[in-house]
Amino acid sequence: MKLFDKILKAYTYTVLALIYLPIVILIIFSFNESRSKVVFTGFTLENYYSLIGNYRVWDSFYNSIWTGAVVTVVSVVLAILMAYGVSRYEFSGKTLIDSIMLIPIIIPEIVEALTLLVFLVIIGIELSPYTVIIGHVAFDISFAYVVVKARMAGYDPQFEEAARTLGADEIRAFTKVTLPILAPGIAAAALIAFLESYDDFIKTFFTRPPGFMTLPVYIWNMASRRGFPLDLNALATFVVAISLIFAYIRNRIERRVY
Amino acid sequence: MNVADVIRRSRRLKLFIFIGIPMIYLLIFFFIPFLIALLYSLGMFKQVVYQYHFVPEPSLEYYVGLSKYPGIFKAIQRSFYYATLTTIGTLLISYPLAYYIGVKLEERYRDLAVLVVFTPFWINFLLRVYAMRFILHEAGMVNTILRLLGIITEPIRFLGTDVAVIVVMIYSYLIFMVLPLYGVLEKLNVELLEAAYTLGATPFRAFLKITLPLSIPGILAGSLLVFIPAVGEFVIPELVGGPNTTTLGTIIYSFFLRVRGVTGWGIGSAAGLIYIAMILVASYVYMRFVGGEVRLG
Amino acid sequence: MSEGPDERIEVGEGRRNFLKIAVAGAAALAVGGAVGYYAREGEVTALKKRVEELAAQVGVEVGPVLEENLNIYNWTWYANLALVEQWAEENNIHLVYDFFEDLDTAISTITTGAAQYDLTVISDNEAQELWEGGYLREIDLDKIPNFKYVPEEFKGLPYDPDNTYSIIYSYGTTGIGYNADFVPEGITAWADLFEVDNPDSVIRRHAGKVTMMRDSTETLAAAAIYLGYDIDTTNESELQRIADLLIAQKPYLYGYVQTEDYMNELPVGQRYYISHAWNGDIAGIVYASDEYEVYIETYYDNIKYVVPEEGAVVWYDNFVIPKNAQNIEAAHAYINWFLDPVVSAIHTITIKYPYPAGLKYVPVEIKNDPMIFTPSELADRLYLGRALTPEERAIREQYWNMVMTA
Repeated sequence: MKLFDKILKAYTYTVLALIYLPIVILIIFSFNESRSKVVFTGFTLENYYSLIGNYRVWDSFYNSIWTGAVVTVVSVVLAILMAYGVSRYEFSGKTLIDSIMLIPIIIPEIVEALTLLVFLVIIGIELSPYTVIIGHVAFDISFAYVVVKARMAGYDPQFEEAARTLGADEIRAFTKVTLPILAPGIAAAALIAFLESYDDFIKTFFTRPPGFMTLPVYIWNMASRRGFPLDLNALATFVVAISLIFAYIRNRIERRVY
Repeated sequence: MNVADVIRRSRRLKLFIFIGIPMIYLLIFFFIPFLIALLYSLGMFKQVVYQYHFVPEPSLEYYVGLSKYPGIFKAIQRSFYYATLTTIGTLLISYPLAYYIGVKLEERYRDLAVLVVFTPFWINFLLRVYAMRFILHEAGMVNTILRLLGIITEPIRFLGTDVAVIVVMIYSYLIFMVLPLYGVLEKLNVELLEAAYTLGATPFRAFLKITLPLSIPGILAGSLLVFIPAVGEFVIPELVGGPNTTTLGTIIYSFFLRVRGVTGWGIGSAAGLIYIAMILVASYVYMRFVGGEVRLG
Repeated sequence: MSEGPDERIEVGEGRRNFLKIAVAGAAALAVGGAVGYYAREGEVTALKKRVEELAAQVGVEVGPVLEENLNIYNWTWYANLALVEQWAEENNIHLVYDFFEDLDTAISTITTGAAQYDLTVISDNEAQELWEGGYLREIDLDKIPNFKYVPEEFKGLPYDPDNTYSIIYSYGTTGIGYNADFVPEGITAWADLFEVDNPDSVIRRHAGKVTMMRDSTETLAAAAIYLGYDIDTTNESELQRIADLLIAQKPYLYGYVQTEDYMNELPVGQRYYISHAWNGDIAGIVYASDEYEVYIETYYDNIKYVVPEEGAVVWYDNFVIPKNAQNIEAAHAYINWFLDPVVSAIHTITIKYPYPAGLKYVPVEIKNDPMIFTPSELADRLYLGRALTPEERAIREQYWNMVMTA
């Protein structure tokens, strides 16, 4: 058993190392002197200076983050409602709803993007950052739904019933008992929803107003003609650093609590 | 009687809030556009300079037209092949990882571990794919290491092959398997396992009889989140693949954007709808097989 | 600097003199700056700035009442952005300069009618399809006095005989680029890439080191030219032979790659060293061009570009104004500014795509580079694509998919 645990641990660290490998490569080449991303020719901080002055990168990074955040909140809230309704209530057409909820995940993005665009034109909605958000939420609800529902499946409704027997009304039982139990599932759903939005570019490309760039749109534009500038490697370093610092601080705070 | 009371009393109203609100959203911003795709595929939608018209004469022309594209069936086959391998690959890699973090790791480190696993995914997907491309490049890391070890003299070509596409797809989709698995494994009742041991079950039997069945909702959710988008994947075959990795996603994309016009959108929509029907059937079968029930999760 | 249109007519003569002086001065500086680059690298920035100042002054010449906004939609790496930004600043225009990375996406964006761009750049036959479909607005040539600087051979091209909807932006050919370090014998014809039955052909000797474009129009056209067919053929037996030829060629290719890929790989030559390519992209490699910097010395001398003997596709990119554009005056003003010989020349020096209006002031090294300015004696073996219907494209795409999935 002990041996098994050790193997498992070693395995976990190996997988982690592999997950980080491409990121490490990006970071190493952020210090590369020449434009190459394959051969390292010499050390420089030039890419970092250039990143600071590259307003297009910052602008698109900012757009990605804020639209992603709004999309995540809206789609996770809607997905929780849906998952809760489907798990708790008996009604005809439940199975149908389950299948229908898969369609936004299945549909090839280009079909979804262009038909939404046609629809927006027909009803006369002008493109804005909000149309990008609307488009992202439409597929993100489904992603979040699948995850929240998986968490809900293993959860025993007795807790909630117990709470109700003890006098809590349904809404309170939901907020005080069900939601906290669902929390890890919700967190996972939120991360997935955010990622799907943050990484999306086909749908963004068609539903964005002129000049509104998100990071993937910027990268795709730059990369498909000349390869992206190493500024983006510098940005990657920045993002990983922030993320790890955040994880570290969080952990310190939690340890104090324990 | 205030609003909260009304909500409490009416089952219909509750159903409306829980199911209705999200459904209305999807209806407007997903299913109406989806209907437009259906109309296009039936030749019932025409465009004249920014004006869209409904033509009430359905025809199956575009569906029939699809059969003229022998390449499509090969592409579909390939798409399913990639998606299947990606799903199996991510599942095999993620399960032990999620198990270690969710079950073995001390509880207070779990959040940190998840954050650490998640961190690389803050980097944009495209950048990660490009980074993988540099690693798999003929002058990239894998080839350099193999050469230094004396295993190869001539660089191996990965880019443009199935291997590159599958490796990059597994890497890109990994997190979508890890998170749902972690979600179910983390709430695994450890006492249940200990009870099983006390009753003399071997760890392996305990795993088979308790852990694995309990993690099925996670496996199902993860597989859905990986398999389904993977079949339609367009960007990865485009960036690390070549002509021998043409997938359905690539072909549908080319109908809409290269052929254009009512014809292109019609054939593209028809291909898209057939594909959606195929996936719905496939996931139904899959869920029956793995989950023993039709309902997801 | 903000004279109204009336005043401009009155002082027209004097203005034109000023223009000449400014143009000459700026051109001298541009050339001087370029030469200076060899000797005093540090000073080139200062010189460039002066060139830009002068050019901007010339640009104000257009000056009627402009809208406050302008949304431009153009390829990446297709203009000197420092200069463009400065123009916007001088004219108090809030400029949105948006990029697209392939024409198909751009055209879909424009034709669905949701996004409102005031000015975009579309190639020949696609521009014709757009105006025939009613997606373009007529351009008022009276508002573009600098149109006179466009050489005659770039006016009234077949896809828009009266320049009603389009004005030349840039042009070029699709031929073959290669790394001469690896192909010392050189390449001259499509036969070099398509004679797969001849064991002594270039493609057999360099098997696995050749790429074609992952672009159905271009690659089908290349095969069509080799076989002596119309580049836009929709004849099914011809398309079948084209597909057969490409399928026979496929085992000897490295693959079908995109611009970004061959631009990075050709100079290295490790993965492959012969590519079906656009001239301006090869020039971009040779001069290591950048959209903010003016480089004039060649960087990779070993990269060559050839227009094959059998002929090649020629393409013309054009300024067009979409039907749903909002800021019409500003769009015209931008076109007029861009067609200013000095401005065009600076864009050419920067990007290494030829902007015809600037030919006169482009430094000799660049003007005489056949890779950038396609020599006119090649004209009789260049083929211009024609407008296609979606049905015709669907047929072609069918054969392309056959090649891709073979």
